Amino acid sequence: MENYLEVNLIRFIQLLRYAGIRIGSGEVLDALNALSLLDLSDREAVRVGLKATLVKRSGEQQLFDKAFALFFAPPEIKEEYFARYRQEQTEHQQMLAQATQELTFQGMPLKLSDNEKTVFSGMPEKDKEKLLEFIKKTAEGKNIEQHFQPILESVVRGSLAYWRKSLRNQLDFSSLPQTEDEELNALLEKAVRSDGGFSADLLEEDMQNIADKDLPRAEALIRKLARQMATRLARRYRQSKKRQKLDLRKTIRQNIRFGGTLFRLRYRSRRIQKPRLVLLCDVSGSMARYANFVLQFIYGINDVVGQIESFIFSEDLERVTDYFQHVDDFKLTMLEVINRSKEWGRGTNLAAALKSLRLKYPDHLNGDSILLIVSDTKTLALDETLQELAQIKRIVKDVVLLNTLPRSDWQNSKSVGRFESVLRMYPCNTLSDLENVIRQKIIIY
Amino acid sequence: MDISIANLRKAFLRAGYITDEEVIITVFLALKLGKPLLVEGAPGVGKTELAKVLSQVLDADLIRLQCYEGLDENKALYEWNYQRQLLKIQISKETACIEDLEQNLFSREYLLERPLLKAIQADKQAVLLIDEVDKTDEEFEAFLFEVLSDFQVSVPELGTISARQIPVVVLTSNNERELSDGLKRRCAYLYLDYPTVEREIAIIRAKIPAVGEKLSLEVARAVSLIRDLQEIKKKPSIAETLDWVRAILALDQDRLEPTAIEQTMALLLKTKADQVTFSKNIGSDRLVEYARTEK
Repeated sequence: MENYLEVNLIRFIQLLRYAGIRIGSGEVLDALNALSLLDLSDREAVRVGLKATLVKRSGEQQLFDKAFALFFAPPEIKEEYFARYRQEQTEHQQMLAQATQELTFQGMPLKLSDNEKTVFSGMPEKDKEKLLEFIKKTAEGKNIEQHFQPILESVVRGSLAYWRKSLRNQLDFSSLPQTEDEELNALLEKAVRSDGGFSADLLEEDMQNIADKDLPRAEALIRKLARQMATRLARRYRQSKKRQKLDLRKTIRQNIRFGGTLFRLRYRSRRIQKPRLVLLCDVSGSMARYANFVLQFIYGINDVVGQIESFIFSEDLERVTDYFQHVDDFKLTMLEVINRSKEWGRGTNLAAALKSLRLKYPDHLNGDSILLIVSDTKTLALDETLQELAQIKRIVKDVVLLNTLPRSDWQNSKSVGRFESVLRMYPCNTLSDLENVIRQKIIIY
Repeated sequence: MDISIANLRKAFLRAGYITDEEVIITVFLALKLGKPLLVEGAPGVGKTELAKVLSQVLDADLIRLQCYEGLDENKALYEWNYQRQLLKIQISKETACIEDLEQNLFSREYLLERPLLKAIQADKQAVLLIDEVDKTDEEFEAFLFEVLSDFQVSVPELGTISARQIPVVVLTSNNERELSDGLKRRCAYLYLDYPTVEREIAIIRAKIPAVGEKLSLEVARAVSLIRDLQEIKKKPSIAETLDWVRAILALDQDRLEPTAIEQTMALLLKTKADQVTFSKNIGSDRLVEYARTEK
């Protein structure tokens, strides 16, 4: 049974599906039919046959090739992967066990997740000792009893969260789906994790973490996304040649010259208003990178939005629209903005920025405009900010906040909840978030 | 032609389409499984050419449906010749019997066949090229999906027209937008990338026999270096490479020289921004140096 073609094919397809490729059952049949037409001893033919029938997205081609090479590797090499995978698993388990053993409070293990324990094991020895020392000292303190444990746990968690951030590049927390087939798990691990893998997808990466060397790729990606969206949108806004409702008045007028015979028909088409965007980007400290990408994206689709006004803010507001008119090289323009700006990379005061926007640029705020705020909601004067927002909301068509915090962190932030109560808020942490929110929520088509 | 991998390989070569096994095998499978072939890839890698060559290889008519924004069924499938119908009414106003007239007005005579219907109606199996399918909207894509599943068309006034011959369908896409899963599921998929240096040399030599060995090698390497540059927005296509070679030959050069490159660069890079990027990041001197370095 083991080596039947069908069984092997199904297992391979399972591997591909777990790696994220969508394959329907019709395609499985196609693959099987394709194999029946090919010489199965010709490895290349089998590879191409499976690829043509199973993988239909350009981005998945490399992934497929890699998975194929792994799955159809000679048995001894596969055995090697498998052995290494098992060893790694055991080591990981041992490491977790050790961390559990070390992280105790008055003899009781601290309640920490596996991920947190992984972070702990990955910390430099010196800092590990410091943390353990702190736990030990706390445990030995005066009047410290068992019920103090949850408080200590949250302190330790906080510290580990910090380390998690700084160790992000060395540790891998993404969890892969676990199948019952251990060998498949091993291959999946190998396929996805090894040298850069294919999971290192810029689209899903936190924009802040996109490395400098990946910037050209990220920019190319933004251009592509923007172009895709612009072509789709252009279609939407163009006067349609498609036959819709007959425009009788125009038709009769047009056909008077044919003696009233309705020879040329005229159709009515709907005109669609393009949205006017007012962009307000937080450029304080860590936010600058997000602002960069958002600006780049929005200007990439400038053909399909009516008008874009852009402002950057940290402690106060600055209008940057003029820099972006007729841009040849986005990078240079951005650099110019950064160099000239007084606001780039300072503290955040959204309230002050909103107030200046309302008072100094009243012309840009009207019933047609959508105010897009790019921010992590961390601002001084939160109450005033919300008041300002409420005021502006009355003037403009809509106010939308693109939150650069990852969705999972929203519940931990008080300001997010407060903002959510007054305006629409969407995550804008990765490039794919950015594309989604603009497409689905801002420019609805 | 008896369809087999070896036969296809020979026929493609005879038609002057230089390609790799991946393309041949995928085409073979699409033909054998009777599935539409969806070809994706950057502009200028030879997607449309593949369909043309296929029609040549199969000795079939090529029927082409060029997709564009706003393409609809009337332009793709069929349309009643409204003007002709009107004329007919005017002419026979006094003479004809009304019922006959009505019968006649919706006959084949007044039906304008558009590419899809033409392909289905052809007496001999045709190659139907649906070019740049990503330019249409989803609505049309869904409609296309339906036609490609059943290969029959209902015209309300005439009834259902089913295919005399199922055409060989080739769809191409520049990947400007993601096509629907449904359409992709129906197709055999081929991703065409820019050719490797070796293949590009072969293409240059096949298309321009006058070119010398050294020049073809240098050009192929130079072009591949330019294509690898991330910042280039519009990468040179194969056709542009060929134009470039012809231009260099026209300047009586048999090697790549910095001055000749500068004079002819406009044939390879067609936007100001790309030309600036090129001279900033590579420059003609370095390009020559790279192209001439033995690997």
